Formats: sequence, C-alpha cells, structure tokens
Amino acid sequence: MTHSFGPTRRALMAAGFAVGLTGALPVSAFEIDGEPKVAFIYAATARDGGWNEALDDARLLVADELGLDIAVVESVPEEATALKNAVDLFVSRGFNVIVGTGYGYSEGILEAAQLHPDVAFVNASGATNAANLEGFYTRTYQGWYLAGMAAAATSDSGKIGIVAGFPVGVVNWDVNAFALGAQAINPEIETTVVYTNSWWDPVKEGEVAQAMLDQGIDVIGNNLSSAAPFIAAEKAGAKSVGFQLDMSQHAPEGHLTSVVFHWDKYLLPTLAAIQDGSWAPSEWGAFPGMADGTVGLTPLSDDVPADVAAQIADTAAAIEAGDFEVFAGPVMAQDGTVVVPEGEVLDDGGLWGMEFLVKGVTGTLN
Amino acid sequence: MTIAVTAWLGAMPGFMAPLLLAALGLLLCERAGVLNLGVEGVMALGAMVGAAMSLAGWSPWAAMGAGALGGLAVSLPFMVAVIVFRAPQISAGLALAAIALGASAALGRGASHKPFPGLENMTWGGDWAALPVVGRMLFQQDAVVYLTLILAGLMALWLMRTRAGLRLRAVGEDPATADASGVDVQLYQFGAVAVGSLLIGLAGAYLSVGGSNIWTEGMVAGRGWIALALVVFAQWSPIRAIGGAVLFGGAEALIPRLQAMGVEVPVYLLSMLPYALTIGVLVLMALSKRARQAEPGFLGRAYIRQDR
Repeated sequence: MTHSFGPTRRALMAAGFAVGLTGALPVSAFEIDGEPKVAFIYAATARDGGWNEALDDARLLVADELGLDIAVVESVPEEATALKNAVDLFVSRGFNVIVGTGYGYSEGILEAAQLHPDVAFVNASGATNAANLEGFYTRTYQGWYLAGMAAAATSDSGKIGIVAGFPVGVVNWDVNAFALGAQAINPEIETTVVYTNSWWDPVKEGEVAQAMLDQGIDVIGNNLSSAAPFIAAEKAGAKSVGFQLDMSQHAPEGHLTSVVFHWDKYLLPTLAAIQDGSWAPSEWGAFPGMADGTVGLTPLSDDVPADVAAQIADTAAAIEAGDFEVFAGPVMAQDGTVVVPEGEVLDDGGLWGMEFLVKGVTGTLN
Repeated sequence: MTIAVTAWLGAMPGFMAPLLLAALGLLLCERAGVLNLGVEGVMALGAMVGAAMSLAGWSPWAAMGAGALGGLAVSLPFMVAVIVFRAPQISAGLALAAIALGASAALGRGASHKPFPGLENMTWGGDWAALPVVGRMLFQQDAVVYLTLILAGLMALWLMRTRAGLRLRAVGEDPATADASGVDVQLYQFGAVAVGSLLIGLAGAYLSVGGSNIWTEGMVAGRGWIALALVVFAQWSPIRAIGGAVLFGGAEALIPRLQAMGVEVPVYLLSMLPYALTIGVLVLMALSKRARQAEPGFLGRAYIRQDR
C-alpha cells in the first residue's frame, strides 16, 4: 500500500508541497465560513440495502462523532440539473459541506463546486476533482482477494462464481482479485463471472446464480447488492460471499464473509479537516484502502479452515503494511498475454482502466 | 449438454409467465382501443404490493391477489382520464408509468431488500418431471405458469367466439358503429382496462413473489416495455402472444446460462432482440395489408360521440 495515504496525511503533504513550491504563499488548504453544515445527497433511497446504506451508516457514525446534524435528500436523479438544484437549495439554506454519493454526480457536482467556491464538496465514486471538490473510492479489490482465498478453501467442486453488474474497471478489479485470491489457495480453481449489465435486477441476478449452481459452482460471490443470489445459493446448500454491507442475514448457513465499506474512516478525518481548515482535496481524488480501514471483511465463517483463515489474516496484515500487492506482476490475461510484467505493480491508472480478465476466469467483457 | 438444455427449458416458463400475463392484460386494453403505456409502472407497483404483503405474512396467493388489486387501484386515475375525459392516451399512459414507478418506490421503502418465502413449484406428474430436456419445463413449474397458459386460451376463445368478445373488439375497431348498435363503449373500455390492469399488476407481483422472492426499486427492469412490444409482435392475438412470450422469455433465460457456461454471447445484441423483432413485425405489417388489419382500428384514439 505504498500509494495509499490517509486523507489527513495527504492533506498535510499536499499543503506542505504547496508551501515548498511557492514558498511565499500560505497554506493552500481550503476553508469554509463558520461551522460546518453538512448535507448528503442520495440518488435513490438511503436505506437501499447496499451502496447508499453503507454511506448512510457512515453518515450516522460521523454525525454522532463530530456532534453534527447532517441533512439528507434522497432520490435526486444522476443528472447535472437535478443535482445542481438540490445543491443550490442546500447552499442557500447555509449548508457549506455537500456529500454526493455517486459516479453519476461527477459532472454536476463539478459545476456546482465551481459555482460555489466557498462550499466543500466530496463525492463517493466521483470522477471529478477541484480546489473544493474531492471524489473518493476505496480499494475494494483488496477485500475481494481475501474473499477469493476463503472461497477457494471451501469449494469442493473447484469451481467458484461471481455475479457482477457492468464490466467497468471498478467491477473488473473485484472479479480479477477474487480469482487471484482463489488461485493463491488452489491454483487449479475455475472462476466464472457473469455480468448482468444492470445494477438492479434481482430476477436476473437470482437466475444467474441458479445457472452457476446448475454448472456445479458451489461458491457464489455477489458483487451486486440484491439478496437474490444469496437466496439461491442458500437453497442449494452452496456458499456465498457478499459485498457493500454484511449480507450474512440473507444466507445464515452458507455465508463465508462480506467485503464491506467503512466510509466513516474516510469521511471522519475529511470532515474533521474541513472543520479545522486543513483540508486540501487531492487533484486525483482520494483512493484509500484496507490500510486506512475504508474497506474490510466481516468475520470469516467457521467453514473456512483454520489454516486458510490464518493465511487470510497474514495476507490482510501484509496488505495493510504495504508488503503485498494484489496486482503485482506477473499477471496474465485470460489468453495468457502478460498484462503486468514481473517486478511491476499495476498503477492506479491501470486499475481504473482495467479492461481485462485474468487467466483462470471464465467469462467475457462485452 | 442435455442437463444444461433441461435446466434452461426448466427456467424458461418462469420468465415467460410475467411477460405473457402483462401482454394479455395489455392486449385486452388495446382490443378495446385503449393504449396503456403505463404497464412498466403498474407492474412495479404490483411487485411492491406483492412483496409487502408477503412480508406481512400473507400467503403467496393472497399477496399476488393484492398485487393485482394494487395494479387496478393505481390505474384508476388513468382510466377516468382516458375513458371519461378522453385525455390523450399516450401522455396519460406515460404519466401513469411515472406515477406508479414513483409510488412503488415511495410506498415500498419498508419492504426493500427483505427476502420472503415465495411461490413453490408444483411437484405433479411424478416421474415425468425427471424426463430429459422437457421434464422440468412441462412438469415442474409453479401454478401461475399453467394458469397463465390456460388464461391465454380462454381469452382467445372469449374474444373470438363470444358475443361479449365481439362487442369488445368492435369497440376497439370502430366505436361509432358499436355505439350505434347499442354497445356501451365506455363500459366495455372500463371493463377491459380494469381486468387488464389486474393482470398487469399480477404480472408484477409474480416477479417478486414467484421469481426473486425479494423486492427492490426498479426490479421490473424494462419487462413492461417488452410486454408492449410483445403485443405488437403477437399482432393482438392471445395465442400468438404465447409464442412471443416463449421466445422472449426463452432468450432471457438463455443469456445468463450461456454466460455461466463461458460461451461468448453478444449480450447487448440479445437484449435488443425483443425490440428488434417488434420493429421487424411493424415493418412487415406496414408492407402487408392483411397484417395491417390486425391492429385495432381505433387504438390510441379518443372516441367522442357526435351530438345527436
């Protein structure tokens, strides 16, 4: 984790860097007027059982910790005009910290940030950044690598599967990490991925899981947030891996672990920095990982053998210490071509633009 | 290979049934001359009500009945607007879709992402269900699948072989003539859209209660629009709608299975299939005079009786 700095450290470094460069200028950190008034903007309902709910859990923690009242608006469509209206309303009511919660807000929130230079903006999975705007995401692939190790250790058939949404970088790195983690335990394991080309279609997700089970796959990873794949896996006596929130309630018998977000670990230091005037958003966005605590695993099920559980704990410690990289070369694509040569580590640009599946994965990106 | 085909054909009716139910409901509306573009939203509401009632401890059948009634309830303003006040059917239908989608999301908050026990498959036919290839498809489905097929047959008979069916078709073809011969145009349209909305709501409820056993916002995922295309594809015939639903449902069940087997499938191309086929049928209809006559003559138009 050599690339991952905590937001506070990054803020300090960036500020220090700016001072070092210009010499004369004071610290270029961003400052808001008066006490922070924070508002969260969600694209759907906040308690959606997945992505939004993970952010909303963090909102409650942060509000409690910082003693703030945080306002919420739900179901603001992911288009620039709708978002800007919501932002304008909040700003006119005196709010000065706006938290967006979706990639689809990237454009609109950048326009809003330029319109309101004295308001601080952060946007979950946002792709835009500015002097008062920071997009943030987390290195979910680290968690999926560990989950893959658990999956391989509990698969009797040597075949595991993962149900995913759209074949984009942030999804592909989870799929590939799941396969690589599984291969670390069982080099012969077959990992099948099916993209549903939708974020919300429980009927299709359940059917994909059923189709995988019919093929003899006995561990189902679910990269989406509906419970349908867990229900199908549980019915068939298969194992499952969840994402975003602890999904064990949907499959009490066969659930191995869930890869979960802890957004408070980003939001808390960031809001604290905004509050004390030391915040300096990164021009590349914030990209913390397991070392920062923004992503992690729920406790492993007893079905994971003790030796593998110990190995997973060791790997987690190595990832956090920066001694282990998931996408360290040699990494080979499905057809055997080398995508990350030996001795190199895939950089962040390569992660975001990941357009390949690793060797040992069955499935296509189309 | 046989196992995979058996599993695919076994999954197909579960995809066919909601499409066919919604298409039959629409077909009834359109045969009476009412174009109902609200189907996607009405299905969403039916799915939500079915899930909420299941979570409240209702049996799957009672929950699906409630979903059907929910579909009817949300369609009432549309019926009044279109049939009584002769509002433009296209805008009223789109408004219904938006209202019902929003209502399902707002009212369903408490029911979101909570699994419930749904409809079980029937285990009849005994050893026949173990037949290779067609065993699961024919003998191991839930009751809704069988009832929907029977309903399609009954609807075809009713439309083409009974006096009331003839009157309904007359209302859709030429309401002025029907009116002159003593048929109450608005009554028939009301009845057709009411029963149609019940079926469309039931189609949605089947998605959550019979299919996924969970409800989330937006889970109808375009199936309502596919049902609209299916009615055109079937040229307003309930029997041909069975064929279309088997084709579209079969494709929907096939895609994930091919992907799980590692076959390279053009997913986007296959997702286009229902719409592409429908455009093809529309082109053919435009070219063939006989096919053109399949469309109810007064579909989508408001009938205003001339002062007498």
